[in-house]
Amino acid sequence: MKLAGTIDIAAPATAVWDVIIDPTDLAACVPGVSAIRQIDARTFEGTVRASIGPIDGDFTFRSVLTRADFPAELVVDVEGTDSVTKSRVVVHIEAALTETGPSSTALSYRATITTKGRMAIIGEMVLRATAGVMISQVTRCLRARLEATAP
Amino acid sequence: MTVGSPGYDLIVVGGGTAGCVIAARASEDPGRQVLLIEEGPDPQPVPDIVADPKRQPELVLKSPYVRMYDVERRDGSSFPVLSGRIMGGGSSVNNLAVVRPMARDFEAWTRYGGSDWSYDALLPTMRAIEADPDFGDSPLHGAAGPLQLHRGYHLDDPADPPAEALIRAAQDMGLPLCHDLNVAEPYGVCASPYNLKDGRRQSTAVAYLDPARDRPNLTVMAETTVTRVVLDGDRVRGVELRTLDGTRQVVEAPRVVLAAGVFHSPQVLMLSGIGPADALAPHGIAPVVALPGVGQGYHDHAVVYITFQGTTDLREDYVIPKVRLIAKSDESLAGPDLHVFIRPSIRMTGLPPLLPVSIHLLEHRSSGQVRLASADPTDLPIVEPALLEHPDDVAAMLGGFRLVTRLTQHPALAAFYGPLLTPAPDSDPMEHILESYVTYSHGTGTCRIGPVDDPGAVVDPHLRVHGVSGLWVADASVLPTVPHANTNLAAILVGEIAAREIARS
Repeated sequence: MKLAGTIDIAAPATAVWDVIIDPTDLAACVPGVSAIRQIDARTFEGTVRASIGPIDGDFTFRSVLTRADFPAELVVDVEGTDSVTKSRVVVHIEAALTETGPSSTALSYRATITTKGRMAIIGEMVLRATAGVMISQVTRCLRARLEATAP
Repeated sequence: MTVGSPGYDLIVVGGGTAGCVIAARASEDPGRQVLLIEEGPDPQPVPDIVADPKRQPELVLKSPYVRMYDVERRDGSSFPVLSGRIMGGGSSVNNLAVVRPMARDFEAWTRYGGSDWSYDALLPTMRAIEADPDFGDSPLHGAAGPLQLHRGYHLDDPADPPAEALIRAAQDMGLPLCHDLNVAEPYGVCASPYNLKDGRRQSTAVAYLDPARDRPNLTVMAETTVTRVVLDGDRVRGVELRTLDGTRQVVEAPRVVLAAGVFHSPQVLMLSGIGPADALAPHGIAPVVALPGVGQGYHDHAVVYITFQGTTDLREDYVIPKVRLIAKSDESLAGPDLHVFIRPSIRMTGLPPLLPVSIHLLEHRSSGQVRLASADPTDLPIVEPALLEHPDDVAAMLGGFRLVTRLTQHPALAAFYGPLLTPAPDSDPMEHILESYVTYSHGTGTCRIGPVDDPGAVVDPHLRVHGVSGLWVADASVLPTVPHANTNLAAILVGEIAAREIARS
């Protein structure tokens, strides 16, 4: 499954960079993430809880910042396992920042999500259903944090 | 090693939905020695995870009884097609729906199989399959068949608010109430029947095979793989099989029926040298009988989920929904071409409830295929479903999308359904459809019926493999078009037809 889009933020690229490069800062903007644990400067772990009809489960993941070319591009690889089917979900995210004005930045992203195991039976439906809402909430949160502090 | 001593008259390859029917019916004749071979396990008693419909999501997501075939969409992304790998096959792992093919499906099948495949010719068999407590013992229905039906909900019962709202909204959109969806041409808001007895799944392993297990003329072998059909010229001599410990042996019988399902019946044929010559050669398999239709003609039902923001949590039963819509993607159509189900909410911490609705297209105008991955019988065949490749199929799915968006905007359902989230309202729904479709796992057609001069036909209208004496195929793979229905009952019907045909042979 592939997702792509662009988020416009009224803040300079360096300020956007500072937030999205910091795992704790970024995770604070992702709804439902709990038990966040920073492993090192580039790695953090966390858990998302979800239920689909009668099935309840946790998705435990590790996120690694694999490339960071300040202040333009970064690559994040997320790998996780769900507690119900023990399926593996691998997410590869490429993001690019383009300054569109002195205090405005376009954050474009491309994500590839691969599900291995039984979770593939319902995983894509769930991911597609939740991705749009999650991205809009992340966007709102990033804007709120950055635009509030923008000069 | 060759084993001929038990003197089998008939070997049934595959203890799936149809195979259990054939083995049970064939062994009703005490003079006939029947061997049933199933690749999956045959757990006794049936595990609770299989028998209890409330545990069906666990069954699909966690148990060893479901097999996944990864298939690709046109854009290269993948999704799984499912089948059962346990005695009873699909009937042991499916969503328990008991839905007959529509009269127009039989009409389509008569074009390939002649009048024996007509609705009128097969109605007595459909009546004989079922024990319907609501409509049984009537010109349309039976009351004394092996398959027990159960409707947990009738349209005149009080329903919980979401189901009531769905029924009201659908009626206001012109869909009639459909108390019995197993009439010749069902249409509307339908109460769904399920194969349940005392709250337990009635797979064909339970409904057909279990009552026959004590017969001295029936032998059941589980966890045994049939690697090929053994031929003597153009006549069947038996099958080669491999047991769990790796032992290979040939078991002889003058009659063999392949009921290994839409993926494995063509696989066994091709491994036996029966199939399209150009598909066998790359795997070093010498062609014995050239049948270009083997593995071709795959039909299935595409499914697309669309999701709305919910105003509340919705716990509509996932496995046995009270109602389904049997609807038209376009009002001008002569008959319905969609199933629509409302689904329970997805909950994720920090997000509002998300309410999916699934749209199931009951037609497939293009054709996919099943082909060998290798000459190793334990390698799963490659499935290329070719869903939503025909523009009319895409247009029909788009019609379903429009129907559901209208439905959820009805004031009754608007109490539960908020704005559309997926696909995003400002996006092209066609993109969402083509990027995200999955399958109802209702494959048919890979060994389809047809006369001997039909190049795509694998079996004749009596289910005998063209060009081979003593060999039948009998499962959903023989159906030349996918029915406008779930395929479990159609597979049971094929099993009943095969048992009758083999008895006559």
